[in-house]
Amino acid sequence: MSTRTVYFIVAVAIFILALTAIAAYYYRRWQKSSQKNWERLLKRLTAVDRSSIAEVALDIIDESGRRRKDEASAVLEPSEISKLVGGLEGLEAMEANCAVLVDLAFYVQQWYPEAIVVAEKLRLSAREIEWHLGRLRSAQQTGKLEGAFTMYAQPAVATYYLMTRQVLALYEEGNLAMLADLRSAL
Amino acid sequence: MHLTGLDFLFWAVGFVEYTTLLLVLLIRRRFRMFPMFTAFILSNLVRTVALYFVSVYGTKASYFYSFWSLGILDTIMQLSVVYEMYSHTFRPLGTWARDVRGAFVWLVAISIPVAVALSWLAAPHARLWMQVVVIRGNLFSSACMSEFFVGMVVLAVKVGLPWKTHVARISQGLGVYSIIDVLIEAGHSYFGVGRNTQTYTALSHIRIAAYLSCVAYWIVMLWRNAPDTRRLPENMRGQLIQLQNLVDSDLVMIRGRER
Repeated sequence: MSTRTVYFIVAVAIFILALTAIAAYYYRRWQKSSQKNWERLLKRLTAVDRSSIAEVALDIIDESGRRRKDEASAVLEPSEISKLVGGLEGLEAMEANCAVLVDLAFYVQQWYPEAIVVAEKLRLSAREIEWHLGRLRSAQQTGKLEGAFTMYAQPAVATYYLMTRQVLALYEEGNLAMLADLRSAL
Repeated sequence: MHLTGLDFLFWAVGFVEYTTLLLVLLIRRRFRMFPMFTAFILSNLVRTVALYFVSVYGTKASYFYSFWSLGILDTIMQLSVVYEMYSHTFRPLGTWARDVRGAFVWLVAISIPVAVALSWLAAPHARLWMQVVVIRGNLFSSACMSEFFVGMVVLAVKVGLPWKTHVARISQGLGVYSIIDVLIEAGHSYFGVGRNTQTYTALSHIRIAAYLSCVAYWIVMLWRNAPDTRRLPENMRGQLIQLQNLVDSDLVMIRGRER
């Protein structure tokens, strides 16, 4: 058997094993996510300080979600924002919760497929927060984390704040019984 | 040309299965949702019938050229089915989700070089250069197809987009078959096509059996209906549209702040 044939057999074996393992892992994740129930989803939520989130978000947006342009807006200092959201760890907790929020929207979609529009918007918002957090991680690596908080963290917090309100609104429209549980978790 | 009873059995089973699947697609109105998949199955049927008549009435050379030219058409049709499955999964609102476009580029940028590398490493023993090209070409296309289907599973889970029931079933069938096909084509390359073609033929029979099993799976799964869903009340639909508009303006506002 030539060396090239040996390389070929090894390459095919690695290729098949890798593809099968990746497919099996993600297929199992997909099955798990489609079998999730309400209680399991709620358990995945990480506790965040709701009043601090609202304070940071409402510094740049109003209750309706519009950008504030008055003189009293955008007054929080980076250090204050960092303290209120619990630093990078606090933002990561929000990022994890974003994934849960999308799953919660999908849970409603199981009953009402038309909710795909809202679910897709929420999903995109969650991805946007991930993008903001990616910038923050880069800033952390270059030692400019505090300065980056105003630029990236505050919009991320505002997006998260709006998302939680949208999910709550979605559940209110659906008249779902578990709304009280959701309010306490978010 | 010499064909065994098993070859004719595969032809007969293939003809019955493709016809049945086409009827399922028509009766259940699935062809509206999956036009490319329907065209793919139709091309399978045409291929089966055409090759039967060429094998009975044609020469060995005419069968060879018919087989491989129809094989190229089959690969193109499979790629169109991949596109259709991606389209159903990653266009939830009618346009490609913007956060998956970059991932597609990465997927293609990784999949094609990997498939090229595997095909390049293959050194099949064959009497004709054309046979070497065919074996390598088959290995390349099966590797690409399997990567695209596994990539679809990974992307869908990562970005959090759900599969529709029948999309999942078609993708599972074609994905599993593609992975088996990589093994078969690797076997073709390893054993080659010398004067004795027994191993090559046996491997081809395994591949055909795997594909016919896949078609049987589609017949059952596409006959079944997707789980029932509830209809959204009109007042709730209006509220959802309002909510959507709100989210749209939220995103515009946040992006504006970013600048």
